[in-house]
Amino acid sequence: MKIILIRTGGFIPVKKVAETETNITDQELGNLLEIIRRDPATPRIRDGHYYTLTAGNSSSGVDLEKVPTEYKDLFSKLKNNLKIVKET
Amino acid sequence: MEVYDCYQKTDLASATLIWDSKNNQKITSLAGKNVIKGGVASWDFYWQLFGRNSIDNKGLLIRQYVHYDKGMDNAYWDGRRMVYGDGDGTVFTSFTSDIDIIGHELTHGVMENEANLDYENQAGALNESFSDIFGIMIKQRFNNQDVKKSNWLIGEKVLIGPKYALRSLKAPGTAYVNHPELGTDPQPATMDKYQNLPDNDAGDWGGVHINSGIPNFAFYVAAFNMGGYSWEKAGRIWYAVLTDKKLAQNANFADVKNNSIVNAEKLFGLNSQEVKAVKQGWNEAKV
Repeated sequence: MKIILIRTGGFIPVKKVAETETNITDQELGNLLEIIRRDPATPRIRDGHYYTLTAGNSSSGVDLEKVPTEYKDLFSKLKNNLKIVKET
Repeated sequence: MEVYDCYQKTDLASATLIWDSKNNQKITSLAGKNVIKGGVASWDFYWQLFGRNSIDNKGLLIRQYVHYDKGMDNAYWDGRRMVYGDGDGTVFTSFTSDIDIIGHELTHGVMENEANLDYENQAGALNESFSDIFGIMIKQRFNNQDVKKSNWLIGEKVLIGPKYALRSLKAPGTAYVNHPELGTDPQPATMDKYQNLPDNDAGDWGGVHINSGIPNFAFYVAAFNMGGYSWEKAGRIWYAVLTDKKLAQNANFADVKNNSIVNAEKLFGLNSQEVKAVKQGWNEAKV
């Protein structure tokens, strides 16, 4: 399954995207999203940046600090591969 | 003031204290030195000009965290502290490189303790604008620049390349043009170019960093027309607005326009040149 990590926001709002193919199953993805989903009630950080994970038909705001140990390498690689998407 | 080194990790709780103002330790980190310089300049600005005792006016200890995450191209205020990344080294360098960014982040803390404008749509753009305005004034004062000498650019070192900066108060929309990675600065300078964007993280909460160009430009015109040092007249008016209890949390551009005129009248007189300059500023921004 292809998963896409998107970073938005920041001091100047820049969109960055990285994607990778994984062996994660639908069920594993569902479980993972339950753990790392960002609480929408979290106060808005001034100049903060945010991550969204997209896989299949699912897309959710995520908190990378909550990523379980077994997925840390995967998300670390995704973060390192984030590339700016030119908007204009 | 305290400075912590995150050593490129993201756990703020485990960051190491590398400097505090009581002990004034010698440090090697350039980012650390930058935030000490910028933090002191910001603290001095608020104290010496407005008698403000730190972020909350009650002596809050200022905490700054440097080297956050690997190559993070951002700086932010999280409600308790200022956090800075090193930049990716290709498009952005360390977000501690410009004193205006440090002043910007500290002013988010001041804002939170004063008007606390909502972080969305026009109120959010004003929230961002106050941070840019006080950030640029802190830099101008540190460099002893008057309104003519200043280039009114925010983040001119952070965005790598001699032609680029993150924002321009003098000419919003021109801080970077045809940048190979970022494209062109999307900020409007006038209300007729206001961008209606979604109120979510992907939409920059309704374009808070985009539409801030409009009140930024109003301030620039007002300050420039007053002449001299921006913080001596225009800065006093904008600080009076920022700390005015009558300003609602969901204030829009027109509310701040009216409030700034009222505060200019209180400070400088009904028919003063300063009041005229404030009106000119907002008129030029088409608010």
